[in-house]
Amino acid sequence: MTATSAWSWRSLRLAPPLLPLLPALAWLPVLLVLPGLSHGGGWDLIGQFAWSAFNPSLDPLVLGSVLSGLGVTVGIALLGWALSLALGLLGGVLSSRTVWRTAIGSALPAELIRRLLAVPRAMHELLWGLLLLQLLGLQPVVAVLAITIPYAALVARVVSDLLDALPTQGLEALRLGGAPAVPALLTALGPALQPGVISYGGYRLECALRSATLLGVFGLGGLGTDLRLTLQSLQFSELWSGLWVLLLVMLALEALLRALRKRWAMPARFGLTRRSVGRGGREVALGLVLLLPLLVLVAAALGVSPLQLGQLQPLPPWTADWPAVAALPWPSLIGSTLGLTLLAAALAVGSAPLLLLLLAPWRWGRVLIQAVWALGRLWPPPLTALLLLFVLQPGVLTAALALAFHNLGILGRLLLEAEESAPMQAEEALAAAGTGPRLALLYGRFSALARSYLAYGAYRADVILRETVVVGLVGAAGLGSLLLEALSSFAIDQLVALVGVYVLLTLMGEDLSDRLRRRLLAA
Amino acid sequence: MSSSPDRLLLELRSVRVPGRNAPRLDDVSLQLRPGERVALVGPSGAGKSTLLAVANGLIRPVAGEVLWNGAAPARSRRRRRLQQALIGTLWQDLRLIEELTVQQNLNAARLARWGWPRALLNLMLPVETTANAEVLARVDLSADLLAQPVTALSGGQRQRLALARLLRQDPLLLLADEPLAHLDPRLARDLLDLLLKQASGRRALLLSLHRPDLLAGFDRVVALRQGRVVLDAAPSALAGHQLAALYRSEA
Repeated sequence: MTATSAWSWRSLRLAPPLLPLLPALAWLPVLLVLPGLSHGGGWDLIGQFAWSAFNPSLDPLVLGSVLSGLGVTVGIALLGWALSLALGLLGGVLSSRTVWRTAIGSALPAELIRRLLAVPRAMHELLWGLLLLQLLGLQPVVAVLAITIPYAALVARVVSDLLDALPTQGLEALRLGGAPAVPALLTALGPALQPGVISYGGYRLECALRSATLLGVFGLGGLGTDLRLTLQSLQFSELWSGLWVLLLVMLALEALLRALRKRWAMPARFGLTRRSVGRGGREVALGLVLLLPLLVLVAAALGVSPLQLGQLQPLPPWTADWPAVAALPWPSLIGSTLGLTLLAAALAVGSAPLLLLLLAPWRWGRVLIQAVWALGRLWPPPLTALLLLFVLQPGVLTAALALAFHNLGILGRLLLEAEESAPMQAEEALAAAGTGPRLALLYGRFSALARSYLAYGAYRADVILRETVVVGLVGAAGLGSLLLEALSSFAIDQLVALVGVYVLLTLMGEDLSDRLRRRLLAA
Repeated sequence: MSSSPDRLLLELRSVRVPGRNAPRLDDVSLQLRPGERVALVGPSGAGKSTLLAVANGLIRPVAGEVLWNGAAPARSRRRRRLQQALIGTLWQDLRLIEELTVQQNLNAARLARWGWPRALLNLMLPVETTANAEVLARVDLSADLLAQPVTALSGGQRQRLALARLLRQDPLLLLADEPLAHLDPRLARDLLDLLLKQASGRRALLLSLHRPDLLAGFDRVVALRQGRVVLDAAPSALAGHQLAALYRSEA
């Protein structure tokens, strides 16, 4: 008896559980190229850096500066987050097709506003921060606005998508019964919208903390600034004092939000089960009421005031040399930006399930990957990039590794959460028939998770494209590098062109990732 | 293929599993020889599912011993897995992997014996088609289904596929927890006949059942009540009123 039939390449078909692992194949070429890129000079520095993790500085002066930096970072994050939620909710309602159709019978304004909001969303908060820095000078309000603008547009999109995905029968019934548009909308859609918005809103707060740290790395104040300065002056013990504190704050915030999500029965960000309307509406309202005075206090402490918006800096003289701009190596700039995005996305998306599969059945392995992923999330990619430059040459690959590490932290945590909540029955049956834990995980829960994980990965790739600017300081890494150069040399003509191309690229990327995501989830 | 008649495929010695109020299993002893077909009966809550979970190693008793093929649970993980590979369970909820094809589901039953290369290959190419077609034929399913996704099968076909997967695992001990619960009478009879047919020679079958009219093909009937074995006899030795009493729930 022949155990196997004839194979042909035409019958090659990858089953769902393999799909999340597929992007990890990107490691093969990376590992081949890596030795050639390393210059080997800074291994002792990397060693010192790693050693200092266990040996952070406890000097009261250092700790005091870390804490005051942390205060600024958290304050910026809170203000930017709260403003973006408020504006985003408004924008979301204004760009909802259902809302306009109920109000005036046509969804045309919604489509228009949607298109308009795509532009602020296409620019990374760092880009906004650096542009606003030129306009307003170094003020706390710059960092707050830099977070508010893109986040508000993102929240608006999510809110309008949530709104338009809700069933409209209840709304139609109310309207037919003669209810006016606004009360009908509030009654029919408000409660159903609440769990999704709060769950997403909590997630945005985590993002805001990361963004505020990142903005600091580029000199906009707070702990990020300290981190970069201590890294560049090789004060690794002091660097780790800041990192540990930041790690504690981030993990505490994540734990708090997870507890609230569970308490209010909110949906996980990509779960297999959608939950119904959340409980605890009164607690949510109370939380919001308590938040307001807190925000006012934070704004006062940071010296953020709307008045600062009026104090425009004198702009440098506008000298446009368009032929020179057109002569920039556009194809290679765009190509390396896209290459950087795809490589970083593949490494991040593929590594999370691979690591989980290899290490998770081992109890300490699970703790280890959780720790590494937490570091990846908290660690701003430009700092990873600077660290990598100790041993690697600047370029696309170095930038991709830095971006991949950060996004691995985010994807990994989501994957782990989804893995823990996925149904276990099939896997239990495999284990009862003697299958080892890794194969049981691969065949069992990976099968169930594959599509929703990849759909999230597609969304992540779109985020990574926007993020390529933050690793621009590594040099030779596409549009981002040139953008940062143009900003620091006041080459406004180049800046305008680069931002324009970047925004276009991001809009196209967003569209592509949307289509991919829909296809993955529909299949 | 023949094994000595005194060798036990499964032996439970004074097994005890605690429950919230009363123990779920209390001082339960049971022996299963090659070729034996044993029906497990009793009112719901009597401990049938718990006993089956102990028999397939999912639950470890707090007291007493479980021996498979005369051996206690192996210490080494690898040997433990091979031990588990000889215990096959037909789950009430089937536990098929919905995202995979019929072929891949059948091969999943071999994972305990396969290494990584073949396990990965199974997720890319048709592997061991002949062996899979053979087990499908044994449960009266067409080999044309091999490439189909599991989601394309009807309810009856899914039942049979789960049984085919069990055969593909090729265990010595077949366990089934109320496999007929949600089936219409004709399907139930067919599936039971298939199961009884498989359990002969070196294999043995332990099956929990809630319908006294289907006991005919079994060699022994073991009745549980409140976590204890209250009867262990051939079905022919049972009078009608005895059976009725077994299924009556507690007052």
